[in-house]
Amino acid sequence: MPLNIDIQQILLHMLNFVILFAVMYFVLYKPVKAFIDKRDEYFREMHDEASRSLEEANAARSEYEEKLRGAAEEIKAMKAEAQKDSREDAEKIRSDAKKEAKEILNTAKLKAEHDTEVMIKNANSEICELARQAAEKFVIENTSDAYDSFIVSANDADED
Amino acid sequence: MSKKRKIVSLAVFGVIIILLIAGIIITAPRAGVKEPVNEVMKDAVLHETGRINLFGKLQVNPALISAYIVSGILIVFAVAVRIFFVPKFTQIPGKFQYLLEKGVGLFTGLAKQNSPQKTQFIGGYIFTAGAYIFFGTIFELFGFQAVTVSGHSIALPAPLADINGALAMGFFSYGVILFGGLVNNGIKGMLHALKDFTLPVSMSFRLFGALLSGALVTELVYYYPLTGYVVPVIVGVLFTLLHALIQAYVLTMLVSIFYGESSEKHEKPVKPAKPEKIKKEKRRKAS
Repeated sequence: MPLNIDIQQILLHMLNFVILFAVMYFVLYKPVKAFIDKRDEYFREMHDEASRSLEEANAARSEYEEKLRGAAEEIKAMKAEAQKDSREDAEKIRSDAKKEAKEILNTAKLKAEHDTEVMIKNANSEICELARQAAEKFVIENTSDAYDSFIVSANDADED
Repeated sequence: MSKKRKIVSLAVFGVIIILLIAGIIITAPRAGVKEPVNEVMKDAVLHETGRINLFGKLQVNPALISAYIVSGILIVFAVAVRIFFVPKFTQIPGKFQYLLEKGVGLFTGLAKQNSPQKTQFIGGYIFTAGAYIFFGTIFELFGFQAVTVSGHSIALPAPLADINGALAMGFFSYGVILFGGLVNNGIKGMLHALKDFTLPVSMSFRLFGALLSGALVTELVYYYPLTGYVVPVIVGVLFTLLHALIQAYVLTMLVSIFYGESSEKHEKPVKPAKPEKIKKEKRRKAS
């Protein structure tokens, strides 16, 4: 045949290649590919699991954020209420204090008036006593002097 | 000048002188009859004279012996890997496992990219073909010697540098493509692939031509003493490595593309119904 083509040798080459293909395919290619596929599957599952976890975490985060936003509004409302309450309490305390102060003032006024009256009364009685004592003293002093002068004048008269 | 530097200078001069003397001796005209270059080239292409005995019964081209040796090495390697390495594969691969996975992954990727149907089979086929072409081409670099029928010593060539090896590879690949068409699309798929009847010849001659051109250039370079000195290091080794890679890639890619085409599912286009038929249908429904 031209170019030294030999059918028998072509068939021998083919036989050689078929045997080689069978061995390489079943002994080397298939097990290695099976291992690669298994590992790919393992990592795909891991990736899916991680994606699922991430989705769950994102959902939980958005839920918490929503809750947090609600809580902030709640806190704001509570704060406003507390401020309102405290303002009312303060107002009440202030009015109570004013009322009490007024009462104390009235009581003090009454007491002071009473005390003044008592003091005036006492002072009057003391003044009277003092006047009486002074008058008594004056009288006594004046009478003793008169008596003495009488005695003296009597004596003088006797001498004469 | 220090003593060490003096020794180095002397050594360099000595090497240059030895190389020059060797060159003069090699390039000197040889006595005796030398085989003409056209005979050498013809022998490299046709292997008419340098035949080898196979099992003492058949006289075959040396490339067939090369094919058996390469296949034997690959089979032993595959079995050894299967027994000793595959059971010890780990999730994080070592260097050898990585290399093996890279090789398998490369051809699987090529198969998936070009023929999405039945990737496992075609992936395995192109993996084997790629390994066979690559290692078969590199095999010629080792220059293993064999004894011809006439008693001469001959360096074993690449298995596909022989037209018979290349034809076997081309026709077998074509058979795989036909098989893909038959399995996936039935007779129609096989007929679809059959119309590319020039494919096996083109694949065979591409392989044969590429590998033979490398072999011829190497033969030419070795033939003349002047170029057979240092030059083969570049021409012989680098060119062989280069076309081993290129040919392995080209054949595997072509096979996967044609396999993909023949095994591709062809869905029938839905023809729009004719207006008359629609009218008839409407009338039938109305009645």
